[in-house]
Amino acid sequence: MTFHEGFLSDIVGKPAVVNDKAIGKVADFVVTQPHEVFPKVDSLVVKTKKGTFLAPAEALVDIDPRRVVLSAEPSQPAPPEDQALYVVEDLLDKQIVDVDGRKLVRINDIELAKTGNTLRVVAADIGVSGLLRRLGGSRLTKPVLDRIPRSLISWNDVAPIENLTPSDVRLSVSQKKLPRLHPSDLAEIISDLSTNDAASVIRHLDDETAADAFEHLEPERQQAIIEEVGAERAADIIEEMDADDAADVLADLPDEQRTQVLAAMEPETAVELRELSSYEEGTAGGMMTTDYMWIYPHRTVAATIDKIRELAPETEFIYYLFVLDQSEKLLGVLSLRQLLLAKPTDTIHSIMETDVVHVSPDASAQDVAGTIARYDLLACPVVDENGFMLGIVTVDDAIDAILPEKVKRTLPRFTRRHKKQTAGAA
Amino acid sequence: MTSQSRSAERIRAAAPGRPSLWRSAVMFLSVVGPGIITANADNDVGGITTYSLAGAQFGYDLLWLLVPVTLVLIITQEICARMGAVTGKGLADLIRENFGVKVTFWVLVVFVICDLGNIATEFAGIASVAPILQTYVPELSKFLLVPLAAVFVYAAIVRGNQKIVERIFFVFCSVYLTYVVSGLMAHPNWSVALPATIVPPHLSSSKAYLIMAIGVIGTTVAPWQQFYIQAAVVEKGVRIKDYPLTRLDVIIGAFFCDFIAYFIIIASAATIFVFNQQHPGHGIQINSAGDVAVALSPLAGKYAALLFSLGLLNAAIFTASVLPLSTAYYVCEAFGFEAGVENRFRDAKFFYLFYLALIVAGAGFVLIPNAPLLGVIFYSQVLNGILLAPILIFMLILVNNRRLMGEHVNGLVYNVLAWATVVIVGVLTLVSVVETAFPQLGS
Repeated sequence: MTFHEGFLSDIVGKPAVVNDKAIGKVADFVVTQPHEVFPKVDSLVVKTKKGTFLAPAEALVDIDPRRVVLSAEPSQPAPPEDQALYVVEDLLDKQIVDVDGRKLVRINDIELAKTGNTLRVVAADIGVSGLLRRLGGSRLTKPVLDRIPRSLISWNDVAPIENLTPSDVRLSVSQKKLPRLHPSDLAEIISDLSTNDAASVIRHLDDETAADAFEHLEPERQQAIIEEVGAERAADIIEEMDADDAADVLADLPDEQRTQVLAAMEPETAVELRELSSYEEGTAGGMMTTDYMWIYPHRTVAATIDKIRELAPETEFIYYLFVLDQSEKLLGVLSLRQLLLAKPTDTIHSIMETDVVHVSPDASAQDVAGTIARYDLLACPVVDENGFMLGIVTVDDAIDAILPEKVKRTLPRFTRRHKKQTAGAA
Repeated sequence: MTSQSRSAERIRAAAPGRPSLWRSAVMFLSVVGPGIITANADNDVGGITTYSLAGAQFGYDLLWLLVPVTLVLIITQEICARMGAVTGKGLADLIRENFGVKVTFWVLVVFVICDLGNIATEFAGIASVAPILQTYVPELSKFLLVPLAAVFVYAAIVRGNQKIVERIFFVFCSVYLTYVVSGLMAHPNWSVALPATIVPPHLSSSKAYLIMAIGVIGTTVAPWQQFYIQAAVVEKGVRIKDYPLTRLDVIIGAFFCDFIAYFIIIASAATIFVFNQQHPGHGIQINSAGDVAVALSPLAGKYAALLFSLGLLNAAIFTASVLPLSTAYYVCEAFGFEAGVENRFRDAKFFYLFYLALIVAGAGFVLIPNAPLLGVIFYSQVLNGILLAPILIFMLILVNNRRLMGEHVNGLVYNVLAWATVVIVGVLTLVSVVETAFPQLGS
């Protein structure tokens, strides 16, 4: 399914298609468990010439800008109004009241998103753009609509809906907390979206809200989104963050992107942030990545290899496998070679190396590089004083950190090309 | 919301066990208000003008019309009051939730434009009283009177709560009794007037007679009232249990409203109509309610004229508060913003600011030199007529929706009456709109 997120008003009324044949129009969506945090859509209501029928959500193949594709013709009768929550009928245009019952605004539109394999109600649009979209402006005024910041209330700020024909929709958080809470929830939604869609959501938010949502995203997501929205907008968003969070985001960015973003910032902020992130950059903490393979000690070798097969496409460094307990304490390490040579039925703790060479997060780049060189490592784990795993510094990052700037510039960019090739191969 | 449930509890608490007469009276007083206030706000500047014209042109001939008009008023008001009591929601709430945002939005746009014109009409009414008052207090020009009225209208609503606002409105309602006094002072011929109230004396099919009849019906039922009475019933927290008393409130209000209308017609019938009969060819020309007040002075004495103008001023200020209030209610309802005079300013900012904006626009427009005042008054009346049938249709669809109203949907007889009202009102106003917009037709 290419569909990731969309607004009810853009979907309702579209032709429902089975085997390239239009069979009717999508009229509504049915939710049978409305008290869920993000209520799952169980079926679609399709109006056909023969009457109104239900298509189970499982039969939904895709929603594209022109139509809704189903795998089978809907045949079940629609449940009576008091036995299911109809999203259009029962939620759209309903009054939103705050925790005290005070009226705030009405639901202008509802956002649906695909999370995993299920379609869910994720947010209520209460803004002007939602209103205009409903008034039929989406085709004519698409460029204008895209400029108006969206105003969404994430569905997990809505009190569980128990009544199947609700007279209004109550918030579960006070109005004042609302704008602060919803970005992190937005991040949840955004992380489920494609990069393009996530970027378009970010684009619609005001800088402050975007910053809050942005902080909660995985670094890979952040990089991809910054690439989509451009360095200028990214700079605006990052400037809105707390300095340490901003430094973290910057620290996670590839050098090139970071330079671009910093260049687009207010000079004062840029200097401050550069100092902050450069301070960490020289240490193991600043150099490390959290992108590594780890496993519990009681697993068998066979299960572990299966797990590596599953995770390797998304993980950059797979040559060492770190053994952690449930509190993420580092217990041991295994190389890919050791793992391949072991018997499939062996357990990990019987073959792992327990004497692990590691560095502390405040170790200098020189120390980290020295350790890696001395022990012939491909990567060195970073562990805090209590033995908890923080991340790893890979050999190429360590070399990068200690090579003088001048030498680095004259070197061919092996690592970058290498990364691209592995990505292509995966 | 909280205030509603609180006052509803108060109402319930007042009625444990079998109601004694005293208790019923207390109960009635706690529920009464919306019906009487809304019906009386009907007798606005436009209404008083129309009734005066009816009396001046046809004497007592149109008095009988007030009986069916009262019935129509009761039916339309009762439907909205009942919807408010059953659903706890305003009319615009129900329209938005049942007809969607598209319909609601365009309804709003048209209604706000129409009501802006109506509000300007009320302030124009206030301005028209200024010359008469100036004969007593020379300083009271319209440039002082109109802003004073605007400030009063805003302050009374924003500073007061629901109880105070309602009391102020009740005072307005009682000032209407000045019309009864000025009617009596005009020494009407009761032996003609009383029979004419029950049996139409000279039914005519002349164009002028029809237009005047349509005018009287049209001025009595206005679209904005439907929103106001329902919002007022909801804010008052009336529940279906107490509803019979609200129905009584509606009926009393309608009777009182038309009782006043009766005396306005009588006042001008007994003076101007009689004078014009006696002096054919050079009678008094009446174009506005202000003209009636001026004409009353030599015919019924200057105090009758003063009472008439004070009544007009009262009506204008009263409707200039109720009408923008109604507009602010339904706009807030449609968008789901907090609304109601019971709220503090910061809890319902949009409601109060929008109310203020409507008053400033209405009052300001009247004070602009050479503003096309007559055009605005005329076209807002035309719009009123055009919008009446659609809003009645919305109401009837909603009140017959079992999902909303449960067992309180209209009965068969009631529906027949109500739909007949829609058809009659719709056709009549359409005829009147066409007639007034294209006067060369049919002449």
